[in-house]
Amino acid sequence: MWVGVLLAVLGLGLGVLIGFNIPVVLPQDYAKYMSVAALAALDSVFGGIRAAMEDKFDQGIFVSGFFSNALLAAGLTYIGDRLGIDLYLAAVVAFGVRLFQNLAFIRRYLLKKKFR
Amino acid sequence: MPKKNTAYLSIMLVTAFMGLMLAVQFRAANRAPGGIPTDRAKEMMTELKQVNHERDNLTKEINDLTYKLNQLNKGRTEALNALNSELGKVRMLAGLVTVTGPGIEVVLDNPENGGKTTSPELSFIQDQDLLGLVNELWGSGAEAISINGQRIIATTEIRLAAPFININTTRVVPPYQVLAIGSPDSMANALELPGGLVEYYRDIGFQVTVEKHDDLTIPAYAAR
Repeated sequence: MWVGVLLAVLGLGLGVLIGFNIPVVLPQDYAKYMSVAALAALDSVFGGIRAAMEDKFDQGIFVSGFFSNALLAAGLTYIGDRLGIDLYLAAVVAFGVRLFQNLAFIRRYLLKKKFR
Repeated sequence: MPKKNTAYLSIMLVTAFMGLMLAVQFRAANRAPGGIPTDRAKEMMTELKQVNHERDNLTKEINDLTYKLNQLNKGRTEALNALNSELGKVRMLAGLVTVTGPGIEVVLDNPENGGKTTSPELSFIQDQDLLGLVNELWGSGAEAISINGQRIIATTEIRLAAPFININTTRVVPPYQVLAIGSPDSMANALELPGGLVEYYRDIGFQVTVEKHDDLTIPAYAAR
């Protein structure tokens, strides 16, 4: 469990390091899609942590959920842009709610584990 | 254990990817502080379109005005040319320029031996005779006339002053060489008409010769 957390933090640091050092700068037009995709990814990761705490962690579900959520969110935003609807708001709300739910679950789990 | 290892690997991969996304997004969002809101960008796009349209219109207007200006300039040069040619014509009519061209030369002289008529006044060329000749020449299409080098203009007088004739206040003496530019044939025909002026003068006893020339030069009026 803690090895997993360590590896996750390590991977995050590595990704951030790469992201800040690659010479490619995301064009302003795509920043919106990327932001929604990043939110979806964040949600997926927290969902994975929650699943791990529930001992329900499944590698396939985690990886596929991560990428499909991110792509779906970005695609939804793109379609919304084309249709003239701020569809990315739906993604933001949905993933935001789930993010807080996951965070709340993780908090409760940690508290339970500590004070039991 | 290998399953656990792949799980760790996948976790690391996914978190690394997320970190990459976050970092890229962070940089993109930080690049232009605040960024340009989409609405503002759209507004500016429409503004740009409008300004471009306006510019196109103004370019069209420039072309239009340039065309008009050219037309006006052309018109001005045309008017200038017309005025210049008019001026030339008027100067020629006023006798202020030397004229060359085809014409006739009429030489008029007094009778050789006092004439055969009785009256001495009639046997000498008088101012009326020259006036009549000039009048006849004008009437038959002369464009410019001179007598003994004196250009005949609108204010030219031909008058008897004692025994001489004054033209342009200059004394002229026989033989009188009258040059006229115009159609040589029509002028000569008018003069030599049967019963015409030349015949009449010859009857009186004047010596008259009429010659056609292809190239005559009549001097300009010498103002004094």
